[in-house]
Amino acid sequence: MKILIVAERRDGELRRVTLEIAAKATAFGDAEVVEVTGTDRYHPVAHAKAVADHAKSSGADVVLAGATLNGRDLAARVAAKLSWAYAADCTDASAKDGAFLVKRPMYAGKVRATLRVPTPAVLSIRPGAWTLPSGAGDVKPTAIAADASGEALKFARFEPTATSGKRVSLSEARVIVSGGRGLKGPENWKLVEELADVLGAATGASRAVTDAGWRPNEEQVGQTGKTVTPDLYIALGISGAIQHLAGMTSSKVIVAVNKDPDADIFKIADYGVVGDVFEFVPAFTEAVKKTKAGAS
Amino acid sequence: MKFLVCLKQVPDSTVRTKVASDGKSIVTEGITWSISPYDEYAIEVALEHKDSDASTTVSVVTVGPQRSRDALRQALAMGCDDATLVTADDKVAGLDVAKALAAIVKDAKPDLVLCGKQASDDDQGLVGPALAEALGWPHVGMLTKVAAGGDGVELWREIEGGHEVWTAPLPVVGLVHKSAKEPRYPSLPGIMKAKKKEIPEKDLAGLGVTPSAPRVEIIAMEPPPQRGGGKILKADGDVKALAAELARLLHEEAKVL
Repeated sequence: MKILIVAERRDGELRRVTLEIAAKATAFGDAEVVEVTGTDRYHPVAHAKAVADHAKSSGADVVLAGATLNGRDLAARVAAKLSWAYAADCTDASAKDGAFLVKRPMYAGKVRATLRVPTPAVLSIRPGAWTLPSGAGDVKPTAIAADASGEALKFARFEPTATSGKRVSLSEARVIVSGGRGLKGPENWKLVEELADVLGAATGASRAVTDAGWRPNEEQVGQTGKTVTPDLYIALGISGAIQHLAGMTSSKVIVAVNKDPDADIFKIADYGVVGDVFEFVPAFTEAVKKTKAGAS
Repeated sequence: MKFLVCLKQVPDSTVRTKVASDGKSIVTEGITWSISPYDEYAIEVALEHKDSDASTTVSVVTVGPQRSRDALRQALAMGCDDATLVTADDKVAGLDVAKALAAIVKDAKPDLVLCGKQASDDDQGLVGPALAEALGWPHVGMLTKVAAGGDGVELWREIEGGHEVWTAPLPVVGLVHKSAKEPRYPSLPGIMKAKKKEIPEKDLAGLGVTPSAPRVEIIAMEPPPQRGGGKILKADGDVKALAAELARLLHEEAKVL
């Protein structure tokens, strides 16, 4: 089987998900890693064309991309361009009898499905689904050029969201600290941020919080927001609506802090603290600092 | 401006999804069906344009089984002008849905086609880009805003840290992630008006579509692993001791610190 992997960069470095896919794909057959160049940023039309053209000319049986914002967008259009089978956001894939068996969430994470995807196919793979083995070799992508100059769709400008500082990306974070309505207002987000800083974590939020405008949309975890699978998810003042749980229930370890002992979040938490977030979180941030200092 | 919003009827987001006894589908008896949440946002984005410019029209279309008629009725009650049902088995493949929608678009000639970024049943996110591809139009995903600008429209795409603003002449396909305001509820007069509207029906063959997409087959479904039986710690006055205990458990037992 011939595998074509589409690499993606963030801040100049290859994204971890690209390395994860490249390390795993050798199990399926001959893998070629390509990187689309020739444009300043991801262009939905030009990049899809470049990748689809290369998939055809190189005789690829399957195209793999990370299930990131751009990767999912690209993979869908490439699948349409080639009329190939398609599965998005796969959490696992294995080759069997000229087809792929993939696992992926459906119904906003409330169900895990196993699908048989015939080849040729396009699959996007969820970041973190495949652990990166230590000592995985260097990945050196081949450049394939996209040409967006003739496209009617043009990038005009970037409008930054006003948030404090730069953090790890929510979808790839190994640790996430999320806040809910229990924090009572945006002015109290320093509690979330201080804990996140100590943990090197991304910050998330419940839908109630992003809808109220306390935090930007991009931080929303759950249905209509992001689905995340970190090693550690810490929910502060989040009651656990079914839509929120759908987005984070596959986290490895879940910690919940809430003053309501009947909150639904406790039903899925590995460690629950029934108490006041305003008292507990500062103390916990200090305790984590000490633990980290002792461990290193 | 003329909008066409493509929607899908899915199990309501509050439904506690159960796997059926065949082990590869979900229980649908007695569940509530709704417009997929991202499609509701797409409708809201279009209706917000109609609010500020009365010459705007908003049409809706879906490809699905007869029950989808209720979702179209709901969209009409929210304020959309007209609706079309393309009847199809609910197992119809995304690429074939896109072809059917492309035939509808060629006939209706909208300026802007909006879809939710993905339907919250299969969560694939294929139909929108595939529709754009079938039409030979550009698409922009993760939209939170569509505004006049450039030679046509400005399309605001939410990414990490902000928005990319893209410009495109019309027509174009947009995949909506969020609307500025929460999707509106139908008003009582809206509901009354929607009841009287005809919803014309078409089918794939009538649109010249022969299903030909590669067959992706669901072979099993299971609920996510059950969680629970976690440790509950209670604050009995000594918050510092409790915080230290949790940090210890995360470090020594869970090994995530």
